[in-house]
Amino acid sequence: MAFLLATGLLFAQKKTTTSATINFDATTSIDKLPKAENKTVIASLDTKTGKMAFEAQVKSFAFSNPRIQDHFNNAGWMDSEKFPTSTFTGTISNLKTVSFSKDGVYDVQVKGELTIHGVTKPVETKGTVTVKGSSIKAAADFSIKLADYGINGPAVGAGKVSKEPSISVVAEF
Amino acid sequence: MLTTKINKRYKKWILAFFVLLLAGAAVVWYIFTEKHEDTVMVKADYTVNAPAFIKEFQQNMTAANKKYSEKIIIVNGTVSEIETFDTTANIKMTDTISNAYIIFAFQQQHMGDAKQMQVGDAVSIKGSCSNGSFSNILETEYITFKRCAVNK
Repeated sequence: MAFLLATGLLFAQKKTTTSATINFDATTSIDKLPKAENKTVIASLDTKTGKMAFEAQVKSFAFSNPRIQDHFNNAGWMDSEKFPTSTFTGTISNLKTVSFSKDGVYDVQVKGELTIHGVTKPVETKGTVTVKGSSIKAAADFSIKLADYGINGPAVGAGKVSKEPSISVVAEF
Repeated sequence: MLTTKINKRYKKWILAFFVLLLAGAAVVWYIFTEKHEDTVMVKADYTVNAPAFIKEFQQNMTAANKKYSEKIIIVNGTVSEIETFDTTANIKMTDTISNAYIIFAFQQQHMGDAKQMQVGDAVSIKGSCSNGSFSNILETEYITFKRCAVNK
């Protein structure tokens, strides 16, 4: 019974983690401070359907500089009081090229919807899925246009925050 | 004589200008190099027990967030899970009935302490409470902490 339960858990289709990470880099030539990391992102991956989801608390992004952290959460930027969570839901569109039972690094195409600052937009990006034994690591790097998500604060206009910050996502299941 | 007086006046203005310039540069330098303190050195705003803390968020998420968000809090509880990856060492305390949990992301310099913890250990962790929320993925409440350290 215990063996069956363990086997079932190991090969469960929906994998989840509460420690996915998102790195956010909005640095510019005149300001190297706006970059942060969120290490407590919730993520899920269904290995049968390729469905993926992420949930990130905006206030969980940790900056080295306390003032930038405050600015990031203020109304001029992410307005975390009003929009506390950013989410992504999507699917690996070339799931057939990934073998979750064979070790390897697989290039994937992910399509879905990204919600930031209360605005939902379709996104499409390339990423990798790394299979090693029973562990699966999903990673993707992409950039967004802040204006698409209604983020037009004075720091963005003044060139202190990149208009197209880069985002790096890693989830290990 | 007159030239000497003018020179003295100019010298005062030039000196004042440079003093102001230096003060301004010092303020800018301070703002740009300021960093979060080591959490170990920061005085805690609250000390709580994990089960009661989780319950407070479950009962009224809005009020709990207003009270605890961005505050330094010492949480006493039992380690239910340790999630360590290359650059991450997260500790969890979980309510076994609802599966609601608190998750602590450790400061870089204190990750070694987190990696030494074992499931079942009674621990005291100090950190900055980010936020509590309901996860649609996990269908449970969770509370996240950043810049954590073992409370010694």
